[in-house]
Amino acid sequence: MSFRVHLQAAARLFAATVKPVWGAQAFGPRSLLAVLALLAGSGRVAADSAPGSAEFRAQIRPILETYCFDCHGDGAHKGNVAFDELKTDQAILGNPELWWKAMKNLRAGMMPPAKKPRPSPEQEQAIAQWIKSAVFRVDPRNPDPGRVTVRRLNRVEYHNTIRDLMGIDYDTQTEFPPDDTGFGFDTIADVLTLPPMLLEKYLDAADKIVAQAVPEKKEGAKPKVYARFFPRDVPAGSKARRAYARAILGDFARKAFRRPVDEKTVNRLAALAEEIYEKPGKTVELGISQAMVAVLSSPRFLFREETTEEKGSDPGYPLVDEYSLASRLSYFLWSTTPDEELMRLAAEGQLRRNLPAQMERMLKDKRSKDFVRNFTGQWLRARDVENIQIDSRAVLARERGADPEMEKLRRRYRDLEEKGNDQLSKEEKQEKDDIAGTFFKRFGRPLRPSLSNELRKDMRAETEDVFGYVLHEDRSLLELIDSDYTFLNERLAHQYGITNVTGDEMRRVTLPEDSPRGGVLTEGTVLVVTSNPTRTSPVKRGLFILDSILGTPPPPPPANIPPLEDAAKGLTNDTPTLRETLAAHRANALCASCHNRMDPLGLAMENFNALGVWRAQEFKQPIAAAGTLLTGESFSDFTQLKHILAQKHAEDFYRTLTEKMLTYALGRGLDYYDVETVDQIVSRIEKSNGRASALLNGIVDSAAFQKCRQPSSHPAKLATLTENKS
Amino acid sequence: MTRKHNSIEGQAAQPQASLNRRHFLRGLGACVALPAFASLFPARLMAASSAGKLAVTATGAPLRAAFLYFPNGAIPHAWWPKEPGTDFELSRTLQPLESCRKNLQIIGGLDDKSAQAGEDGAGDHARANGTFLTGVRLKKSATDLRAGISIDQVMAREIGHLTRFPSLELTCETERPSGICDSGYSCAYQFNLSWNSPTTPMTAESNPRLVFERLFGAGPPGQRTESLRLRRQEQRSILDFVLQDARAMQRRLDPGDKAKLDQYLTGVRALEVRIHAAEKLGDPKDPMTPTPAGVPEKHEEHLNLMFDILTLAFQTDSTRVATLLLAHDGSNRSFSDIGIPEGHHDLSHHFNNEEKMRKVSDIDLWYVKQLASFLRKLDQVRDTDGHSLLHNSMIVYGSGNADGNAHSHVNLPIVLAGAGGGTLTTGRYIKQSSVPASNLFLSMADRMGLRNLPRFGESTGRLSDV
Repeated sequence: MSFRVHLQAAARLFAATVKPVWGAQAFGPRSLLAVLALLAGSGRVAADSAPGSAEFRAQIRPILETYCFDCHGDGAHKGNVAFDELKTDQAILGNPELWWKAMKNLRAGMMPPAKKPRPSPEQEQAIAQWIKSAVFRVDPRNPDPGRVTVRRLNRVEYHNTIRDLMGIDYDTQTEFPPDDTGFGFDTIADVLTLPPMLLEKYLDAADKIVAQAVPEKKEGAKPKVYARFFPRDVPAGSKARRAYARAILGDFARKAFRRPVDEKTVNRLAALAEEIYEKPGKTVELGISQAMVAVLSSPRFLFREETTEEKGSDPGYPLVDEYSLASRLSYFLWSTTPDEELMRLAAEGQLRRNLPAQMERMLKDKRSKDFVRNFTGQWLRARDVENIQIDSRAVLARERGADPEMEKLRRRYRDLEEKGNDQLSKEEKQEKDDIAGTFFKRFGRPLRPSLSNELRKDMRAETEDVFGYVLHEDRSLLELIDSDYTFLNERLAHQYGITNVTGDEMRRVTLPEDSPRGGVLTEGTVLVVTSNPTRTSPVKRGLFILDSILGTPPPPPPANIPPLEDAAKGLTNDTPTLRETLAAHRANALCASCHNRMDPLGLAMENFNALGVWRAQEFKQPIAAAGTLLTGESFSDFTQLKHILAQKHAEDFYRTLTEKMLTYALGRGLDYYDVETVDQIVSRIEKSNGRASALLNGIVDSAAFQKCRQPSSHPAKLATLTENKS
Repeated sequence: MTRKHNSIEGQAAQPQASLNRRHFLRGLGACVALPAFASLFPARLMAASSAGKLAVTATGAPLRAAFLYFPNGAIPHAWWPKEPGTDFELSRTLQPLESCRKNLQIIGGLDDKSAQAGEDGAGDHARANGTFLTGVRLKKSATDLRAGISIDQVMAREIGHLTRFPSLELTCETERPSGICDSGYSCAYQFNLSWNSPTTPMTAESNPRLVFERLFGAGPPGQRTESLRLRRQEQRSILDFVLQDARAMQRRLDPGDKAKLDQYLTGVRALEVRIHAAEKLGDPKDPMTPTPAGVPEKHEEHLNLMFDILTLAFQTDSTRVATLLLAHDGSNRSFSDIGIPEGHHDLSHHFNNEEKMRKVSDIDLWYVKQLASFLRKLDQVRDTDGHSLLHNSMIVYGSGNADGNAHSHVNLPIVLAGAGGGTLTTGRYIKQSSVPASNLFLSMADRMGLRNLPRFGESTGRLSDV
């Protein structure tokens, strides 16, 4: 019997075993193929069994040989990668993670390194195409939508959902613990855990919210919001009352669970209400409100449960049903529950058909500000600007240069302070007061720029307003990198050294021609959150650009590497500039490979201090912002660098922004099989000349957003969720 | 549309808070002065706990364990006393502990090798934090959490039924940074000490008001017991409903989603147990102090308030196991109040620069000062058996980083305060011979009455002399 027969038998056996949990454990056709490839590789039956590896040997490997083998072949294996060691089918096709990395580096121009010959655009295209079709097994017409774990509302979504459902502003930032994040976002299902303490808080919150929101009818006048929950009067008679409670609770549960509710649930809720209002002295309203507490405590409210469409789906990857789609849309674009219009369209089965119009409506709606706030809050870390500790005195001291006299006084003051006031002699007390006086005179001037709470909020508002403007006006996404405008009020304009802006309210300001501002990287938020408490951090800033703008973060530093200041030890200069310190650091080959990528980017921003203020010098030495990127482009200042990023790296930026927003919208980290989805969105953006709408529509139209992997549950079980519509 | 987030995200600053803390402390001070502090204990409790051997001292008082974490290790030469023994001279950093030196031991030679890089590369802060009480290697992932059950939760499982709260998780970290945490590790590792399962961190509470209300009930003094009772009543009426919902939902969901519903169900069960415990043990005596306001603006006050509440929780026997994260490992907090504006983490990589080392050891000293004032409080409170609370406690104060500069995880700075009801040899500096910190935790678990625990974390045995 030939090996091939064994293989077929094995495949059948494998498929049969796997089928019941299809999708659930990420076993797709691809995994099956990988197993087959493994079997093929372990036998001696040769290569022609996998066409992908034949193509590799014939077409891809020769390109790699020319451009990559210097470092990744012929005995060299930099970064533990050696392409010539890929000999078997399994080695070639069975490691998507390796090829994913290779593809990212190739596309971003990180590999081959600058000054080395590059493959032609056609060759690059061929490599990418081979990786996608042979290794990733991507079917562009039916891409894998990936798997999202059932997602708990995070505390922002919970807040907004309660606001829209109950008309109550429940302070979840105080009452709930912070949510864990993954890949930089708080929408990631896998890390939105539910520890016991949080469940307790949910029950408490439900109770408090209902108590606050749902009025009890007192004698005489009805409270203002009465009709919101009780649209008509409570009838007499127990049968009529039960029907009344059923109607109200059925509708409430539908809204809270974001989909129709089955009869059984309505009955249970009505019974819960009845048990209470039948007691002497208790009103029907009180009974109903208690049942509402149960609804808000239910996992069906706290988690976003999804089901699939029964008809019209591609094999393996069914469409999510329209209620699931309504929630995906509303939590993506509004960070809140679907409104009545979305729910109505879903009920009529008309939501998918009306997506463009609904997208437009949703983006015009003021609730889209929540998307802007939450997305920029995390993508650009604008949330952090409100709390990050920055010591403005220390920041400014660096610009003025070291002051040994003041430093001596500061130390003396601290020693006196340590002694404790009751231990000090009269003279010492006087001395302490004198030092305090000197300090006040020197640093206490009201002109001293510092990060007041107002200013921090202004910075955050600028970030949100710029992004919101690009989104709502459907501008080019490249304006987020480089633009001639920003949003300012008087306080922030002053911080930026821009005149003629008066008043508190933020407005769009066209920047003076010579202004270094414009684009997210020169916004106060980004400049502040990428700083240390007493100084800028070119490394953090470089890393920020690589990760959040270009999408090519370097690997984390190796363990036990002492950071930057340590490198300054060997320098003769007492107060080396950051540029000098970093140069010393890069002298170490181990550090250089990554710092060569981060440092030029971060150092180019050195004209902006840790308070977001423009400065010409540090330690009384002029700041040199010029540099050369690892991809070869030279620039003389940050404004030029912004031009380079917007012109030469537009595709990198589109891809990075797409990946970030897709991660945020889907609630999961991206995997290699998402490359095709991302590519399709990026090409859509490019075709539209960078329009924001292409990105948003691209995400919403993607398979990942519209579909899910085949759930393993029996369809019958799923049907019980919706079959008995109330 | 509300823009409430604007104001509440930055809500750490509450002008009322410091005033309120003074009130709160005065109240607590008054309690401490009362001769019969045992009156705060529910009467039935003593009998209940003396009957078993769990978490009880030889004299019948409750035995407690607390685990306090401070970030980024400590400057070793300023931390360690010169010579081991009972006659040791306290080091510069540990100087504030002078007044309680008879009630504690400084333990050298404890390691946390599960925090070492191994093949996982960078991420020593996430690892130090996440392994300190779990003693297992963490899965390096941003979303796929795999840690281990922490020692406090191991204890809570066995002794939790004795008190109204199986355990208490506290933190002084109010915010999470957005963006990526330490080198590819989920932020969950770096901000949680306590883990209820390998996949569920026990999220800690940072708001003193909320902890207080959870322990003693909401509302003004005198009305709290009633509010607790009411809450239980309401909870009970809906627990049945949500339990059915959760079970039905779990049946519908994909196997990959079941873990989420398991967490929900675990929470429901925990609440049922709590309600049951409250009925069996009775409500806590209202401390009659004003409820603390939210998070104080000053970090020092925040720490001290959390320590006060922990004291009160032990005093009222509301729980016997607690964890408190003073700051997450890798914390870059600036200490302008003591003249150190630079970030703690930044400074901790001092590369033997004398000024930086001095600054870091000043921060280490600052943390130890807060510990000392907590220990003094515990020492002032008489327990039911006439000893002090401190005598009847085991308080671990430590960090999962030894030397923050080198990211080393051997010879961790650890203080074990309290006499464990007389079972610990206090008043000394003792050097272990490079054994896992898990060994210490196992020895503490023994004293808690968990006799059958064969091992914990990376333990290789028990500490023979502790």
